[in-house]
Amino acid sequence: MTLERYKEAMFPNLNPGEYRVTSEASPVYNCIAWAAGDDTDWWWPDPDSGNYWPDAAPFEETLESFRAVFESLGYRECATAEREPGFEKVAIFVDDDGLPTHAARQLPNGNWTSKLGKWQDIEHQYLNALAGSASLYGNVALLLRRRRTLI
Amino acid sequence: MQQPIKTATPIDMETRFRALADQWRWETGPLSSSTAIAAHPAYQEIIGMGPAAIPLVLRELQERCDHWFAALRALSGENPVPREFAGRVPKMRELWLEWGREKGYIS
Repeated sequence: MTLERYKEAMFPNLNPGEYRVTSEASPVYNCIAWAAGDDTDWWWPDPDSGNYWPDAAPFEETLESFRAVFESLGYRECATAEREPGFEKVAIFVDDDGLPTHAARQLPNGNWTSKLGKWQDIEHQYLNALAGSASLYGNVALLLRRRRTLI
Repeated sequence: MQQPIKTATPIDMETRFRALADQWRWETGPLSSSTAIAAHPAYQEIIGMGPAAIPLVLRELQERCDHWFAALRALSGENPVPREFAGRVPKMRELWLEWGREKGYIS
């Protein structure tokens, strides 16, 4: 299943055949929560909205705060988005002003999973499918990885 | 001759609210940033309607779950959501609707 055309249009590098929709739309959780493995809360450091933000990170809308969130979950900065067996990765996107906009998490198969705001989750083959100068999410500014735990 | 001053009727206000809410929902759909969602011009215009918009926002929240919490806080100056439920959107919705019923804004 693919996104509606008007949604696809927000991401010029997201090509049909290179992604699939993996959930219903939901206002309950967002990309940061989803990247952290949570599908029950909306995570954002905004004092007016009353949303969740981990105590371990500064309550501010900066890349460093988002880094601290994922470091508190055991992630550490890494150099590439390439799949590395035994590790899972997270990518943080920022806009032209350096403000965080989005996070994606790498799946064991090397693809990426992204919750698109209040829209659906998608599994996308390429991380940069959601990036680029014309993309709503800007570009990847930070990559982190942690050892994948076996369940 | 001086023209009579036209003031917004409740119907005008509700029509305007519906248009703004639709625009806001449509244009903020892909956003995760609560800040950006609340900073949207349509959302800010709704906040600018003042406390008279509270019943409209609550009825909208009754119809569909969405991120109206910052608007309700701005419009009412209150926050019925304790910190333990921060980000728990269905619970936040439930608590705001309960607040609205207690205050008589909605039935």
